[in-house]
Amino acid sequence: MGNCLKGTSNEDISLLRENERSSEQQIEPIQPSSYRDRTPVFYPTPNDGRPANQLTEEEQVRIARRIGLMEHLPILAYDDSINKNKECVICMIEFKIGEEVRYLPCMHVYHVSCIDDWLMRSFTCPSCMEPVDAALLTSYDTN
Amino acid sequence: MASPSPSERRLQKELSSLMKDPPPGVSVDANAVYQHLNLWNVHMKGADGTLYQGEDFQLQFRFSSKYPFDSPEVTFVGDNIPIHPHVYSNGHICLSILTDDWSPALSVQSVCLSIISMLSSCKEKASTLSIEKH
Ligand SMILES: [Zn+2]
Ligand SMILES: [Zn+2]
Repeated sequence: MGNCLKGTSNEDISLLRENERSSEQQIEPIQPSSYRDRTPVFYPTPNDGRPANQLTEEEQVRIARRIGLMEHLPILAYDDSINKNKECVICMIEFKIGEEVRYLPCMHVYHVSCIDDWLMRSFTCPSCMEPVDAALLTSYDTN
Repeated sequence: MASPSPSERRLQKELSSLMKDPPPGVSVDANAVYQHLNLWNVHMKGADGTLYQGEDFQLQFRFSSKYPFDSPEVTFVGDNIPIHPHVYSNGHICLSILTDDWSPALSVQSVCLSIISMLSSCKEKASTLSIEKH
């Protein structure tokens, strides 16, 4: 396992956050050479996956904003007495009591890593197709 | 043996649930699937009382390593491609859940059910989308 190439999502996220912070300034084009060995793929739209260095500035901002919104989605311990889903529909594995799950505004729950991978592609709930973006903004308005 | 990837684990789960509880007229050759987990051949019978009654079809499901985040590629293959307004003569199926409306909550089972209902609701066999290759 030690030599396995791991997913680079954490580093990718910090990279995007840097872009978010500096979005007022000119974003330097990412040098392709430094990314030759690992080309993380982002999905500005669900069927359009591209390495980070091929995203436009606007797309980078949109993805950074999406990661920001995702942080507002609560992560709680799974409780089988309040959750009607018995398994995560993405990986089809049953939740264990106490396991960390992410709640979408529609109250559907998923494993954090499962739903985060999907939200990077499409900001919708896989189960009810409710757009997470709009739902989040509505819940901010009413609070 | 390497442990299965999340995508392989999910396909194995889907295979056993499809064998246990298949949609009507649907069957899958499990032995072939165990050899190539990313390529399934699914048999589908035209439902009784529809224009496709008595016909047999073959569907091919191709899964990428990012399934279920990527939708499966689903096409009709073999000698008998259904004549249907949303099926090209090369087997391509024009169904939104296979592209823009895909969600990882969908499965082989739900895709099969959508295709069955697409065929069953057809009132007239016409191939408006067909690309003639003769
Ligand atoms: Zn999961
Ligand atoms: Zn939902």
